[in-house]
Amino acid sequence: MISSRRDFLARSVQFGALLGVGIPLLQACGGSDSSSGKKTQTIADGLQPEKGPLRIFNYDSYVNPDVIADFEAQYGVKVEITTFTTDTEAVTKLASKAIQADVYHSMASTTIDRLIAGGVIQPLNKTYLTNFPNVLESLQDPWYDKGSAYSVPYVYFGTGIGYRADRIDPAQVEKDGWNTLWNATDFKGQVSVLDDEREALIMAMMRKGQFDVNTTDQKIIDQALADLTELIDLVNVKVNIDGYKNIPEGTTTIAQTWSADLINAYAGYLPEGTDASVLGFWHPPAGEYLVSNDSMGVVGDCEHPVLAHLYLNYMLDNAVAEKNFSYVGYLPALTVLDADYVIGKGYVPENLRACVPTKEDISKALFEKPLGVDGDAKYEAAWSKFTSGA
Amino acid sequence: MTATLSAPPAVAPKPRPKSRFWAMFALPGVGWLVAFFVVSVYAVMAVAFGTVDPVLRTAVPAWNPMQWDFTAMRSVLDRIFGGDLGTVFIRTVGFVAASLAGCILIGYPVAYFVARKASKYRGLLLILLVLPFWISYLMRMLAWTNLLQVDGMVNDILGFLHLQNEPRNWLDGSASTVIWGLVYGYVPFFILPLYSTLERIDGRLIEAGRDLGASAAQTFVRVTLPLSVPGLMAASVITILPMFGDYYTNTYLTSGSPKTEMIGNQIENYLLGTSQPQTGAALVLVLMAFLFVLMAYYLVVTIRQQRMAER
Repeated sequence: MISSRRDFLARSVQFGALLGVGIPLLQACGGSDSSSGKKTQTIADGLQPEKGPLRIFNYDSYVNPDVIADFEAQYGVKVEITTFTTDTEAVTKLASKAIQADVYHSMASTTIDRLIAGGVIQPLNKTYLTNFPNVLESLQDPWYDKGSAYSVPYVYFGTGIGYRADRIDPAQVEKDGWNTLWNATDFKGQVSVLDDEREALIMAMMRKGQFDVNTTDQKIIDQALADLTELIDLVNVKVNIDGYKNIPEGTTTIAQTWSADLINAYAGYLPEGTDASVLGFWHPPAGEYLVSNDSMGVVGDCEHPVLAHLYLNYMLDNAVAEKNFSYVGYLPALTVLDADYVIGKGYVPENLRACVPTKEDISKALFEKPLGVDGDAKYEAAWSKFTSGA
Repeated sequence: MTATLSAPPAVAPKPRPKSRFWAMFALPGVGWLVAFFVVSVYAVMAVAFGTVDPVLRTAVPAWNPMQWDFTAMRSVLDRIFGGDLGTVFIRTVGFVAASLAGCILIGYPVAYFVARKASKYRGLLLILLVLPFWISYLMRMLAWTNLLQVDGMVNDILGFLHLQNEPRNWLDGSASTVIWGLVYGYVPFFILPLYSTLERIDGRLIEAGRDLGASAAQTFVRVTLPLSVPGLMAASVITILPMFGDYYTNTYLTSGSPKTEMIGNQIENYLLGTSQPQTGAALVLVLMAFLFVLMAYYLVVTIRQQRMAER
């Protein structure tokens, strides 16, 4: 069964009670002031790998255990995985050195610039990354890390609408686009948006034809908030990241989701006897499609940097990435794993072809970019108001 | 010869030196409180009145009170008194009050029965009451999300009993589901302290009430109920304190409906999902202050009752 980090996020919310107080305290114990200006050095060429153990910091269930076991066998080292639940938690623990890790497995694109500036990750030595050419061409020189100097892409996905094709006509979803959520008055309590302030507010903006997804214009944000708030009374909207299980199980009919959620839904959450044809995914056309990716990096002052480089290279191997995809359900950012390949292999059904972004989708994609402290604060304030239901 | 009896000389008893031996028994508790309450609360204050690292957006606590910045706290208070957070606070208070009422309605009869009427089954019933603690709260909530599905067992049973025609979507984000979830989750915490109070009530007082002509109901209202007030108070405090900080009940039973957002959800969001941990910490302090008022009221009432009992 494919499981996902989104699953873990939903399942592990209990730890928030501990972490909620614990994270600032960890940071407090670190006693750091401003972290800007800390730069780390790249490792030299041709070094022998350390004896390990390799310490990986990752979301739970976000890497295939068999892939890890294979790495251990191949390099004769032990791998230790420590998990986190949110980006905030991960950055705080790494920055405060509350955790000693070698590989930061799943960095969000919007935080990488800060991780570099804060010296949390180190520049990569590409001579160890012989599989790097396997990476999608458009992500070999990504906007968040020029020349992939500090990171390599792990998986990628787009944001669209996951829906029950047996309850709502796919042609209607195609026609209505983002308005599908606002028109879903027949499905009250069965509509959800992503529990992510930028994703949800950007969706409301795009519905109104505003495609500057990195705007910090207060008026536009306020309008998006007002539009999003309409959903509370219109459709009794939910706020979660559970589309991957709620749609196949039938408790949600229409959800703003990540494309990978529907692949997960197909692979692991369809009730017995339910055909994959009940699942549908729509995304905006190329040029209006929001695409995101997670990346891997080597922690700034880690104990096993050579081994960490070898691990990154290992994960960029086509066969390893495919094996990993069969478990996590998120598409590796490698050229070979295109729509035809993953559909031909049976990982994705034909009716969910849209879940695999095309070259054009990626080349014209919209990306969430860092907004700065003030910009983020505007989105966070709007989000707090929306979720308060006030 | 006259025998006289003289009173023994009024010798004041020799004061016994105060032993420090027993006082030392408090040391572990004091140490625990200092380490895990006083220091922790101060750390929360340092975060709430501190700043944020401009690069990594992590909290930079202000340990020195002279450097405290009250911007986040002012913003939180403004939003509570007249803003969106006020709505969330009022909603949380409403949910907790309704849940407490549910706990009293369900918990009191159960505690009374076990304490006064269960006789030889008391031990078994007590084990059954403790049984929910063997399973984590989270797991029990997850179980309910399955039971309350449209095609779940709850709808199956209600349909079988002809109590509803159409299956209901219990998880559609309604307040009643959250309230019943809270009642379900916390009622064992309510029953146990109440049971211990009811169990200690002197049965002769109840018999006296009946002997003096009071009916069973009158005896309950005029004897048992007043004597169980300390237990009711303790049970209420033990129940509502965690309820106020609860957020996963709402998260699981409504899949994140803004209509049922509780203050714990906002704290979680600010501490785990934003670059404003100081706002989350400020919310924690406001909630603590509010709960401290409730706790102080409980202590005052308890002390008064103790003094009355000693007279």
